[in-house]
Amino acid sequence: MSWVNAVIQGIMTGGYYALFACGLSLLFGVMGIINLAHGDLAVIAGYVAVLLVPETHLPVVWSFLVVVPIFAIGGYVLQRTLLQASLDRDPFTTLLVTFGLSVVAENALLEAFSSNGQSLNIGSLIAYSFNPTSTISLSYLSLVVLGVAVVVLGALQLFLSRTSTGRLVRAVADDTEAAQLVGVNYRHIFGIAAAIAFATVALAGIANGMYTEFAPTTGPANLLFAFESVVIGGIGSLWGTLVGGIVLGVAQQIGAQINPAYQVLAGHVVFLAVLAVRPRGLFGLRTAP
Amino acid sequence: MAPLLELVHVKKRFGQVTIAEDVSFAVEPGAAVGIVGPNGAGKTTLFGVVSGDVRPDAGDVLLDGRVVSRLDPAARCRLGIGRTYQVPRPFDKMTVFENVLLAAQQGARARGPESYAHALAALDSTGLAPDANRLAGSLGLLARKRLELARALATQPRLLLLDEVAGGLTDLEVGELVSVVREANERGVAVIWIEHVVRALLATVDRLLCLAGGEVIGDGDPREVLASPRVREVYLGTDAAVGESVT
Repeated sequence: MSWVNAVIQGIMTGGYYALFACGLSLLFGVMGIINLAHGDLAVIAGYVAVLLVPETHLPVVWSFLVVVPIFAIGGYVLQRTLLQASLDRDPFTTLLVTFGLSVVAENALLEAFSSNGQSLNIGSLIAYSFNPTSTISLSYLSLVVLGVAVVVLGALQLFLSRTSTGRLVRAVADDTEAAQLVGVNYRHIFGIAAAIAFATVALAGIANGMYTEFAPTTGPANLLFAFESVVIGGIGSLWGTLVGGIVLGVAQQIGAQINPAYQVLAGHVVFLAVLAVRPRGLFGLRTAP
Repeated sequence: MAPLLELVHVKKRFGQVTIAEDVSFAVEPGAAVGIVGPNGAGKTTLFGVVSGDVRPDAGDVLLDGRVVSRLDPAARCRLGIGRTYQVPRPFDKMTVFENVLLAAQQGARARGPESYAHALAALDSTGLAPDANRLAGSLGLLARKRLELARALATQPRLLLLDEVAGGLTDLEVGELVSVVREANERGVAVIWIEHVVRALLATVDRLLCLAGGEVIGDGDPREVLASPRVREVYLGTDAAVGESVT
């Protein structure tokens, strides 16, 4: 039964990975930006929550109500200024700029908060769980995060396919020049996409802070898992990102079941296996772009 | 009254290659102007200068007497400049209707029922209405060219820039597209049309510009322009279609 439990825990970890990775996928899919600061953004969201919770007297679990809007606005502004300016040069510049942002963020956080770990204390909620059998334990927190991930991805999918703004996002992602030619202000649409991406990474950062400790330097390690989720699932597919996150999560938990030292390694092995067999990911387009 | 479009001493070079040396011309509202010229004469680049994709090294573009040289393509589209690409570039993963609706909502700033009306009118006039719910990526070349035209028309342009609409099509297909363009022109849309298929052009335009070596070497009545010695010299042996229609 412990194997079953490993798979179930993996699925729930996968929900978190997907929540974390969908913003990365969106930035790449729409603007072609590979955001190397994505992991650091999640860490910053954790620190923002740590700072704001005492000020606003909100319960920690509701801190996202404040952090997510701040991140959405921040994402829009950053896209319209620094990221757009680097996109105007060439794609390679965005890679350097986001790498630079990552370094700056880490060092600024170290300066402001020291290297000690922090976490978002949700008290006894962390321990609440549901035990259908003696060997399977479902943590409420993990279930909620998985639920949030599914809802966020579903809402994002509906937004893209059913709304006129979502249609504009698809248009600029497909052909920015042609979109401009029919009157689309693509910079504004890029800003909206960045706002959404930042909002989702804020949610992921808060979830992460509730699960575990974070420190100024934990961003890049998280970024790796987000990358793996996106690539396993297939670039450009939101549901693919969810499946990618779950495949990665399950692989890690099964690896840990074999030997606790194999947790991260097992994830990397599955990632490489998927790359070897289906280079475009499980749900990626099979035809050349 | 100021002309609809005016190019004033436009100059553009890519490295050592001169695309436009000193190009000036004006187009009146509702006019139908054709542009011919040998390959590499800078015709498409000139469209880029008008639509805002290409920034000229010198000179200005005026719309309604107002300088628009510093506006981006989206802003110029909203002011009434519609353009088609030589190789159609529809949004492949959207339906035909979504493609056109998006153009109506963005280019013409139309909302709600008005945007649907613009979109449907554009589909009707290009004969695409039966394909409205197909994915644009699944269309054949003729339908893609029609969609390119429909999308430009949905933005409610006052000036339509057509880049080799007829290329790669059969005579019958060309005839259909020509009638769509003429219809738009009769409704008052000014048309500037780059075309190698001169027969299609002569059926529509009442003025012809010939570009060569970055200069306007002919401008006026289409048949007179094609018969002028300078234009014939540029074309001789390079484009049989023109040779035929001149003789």
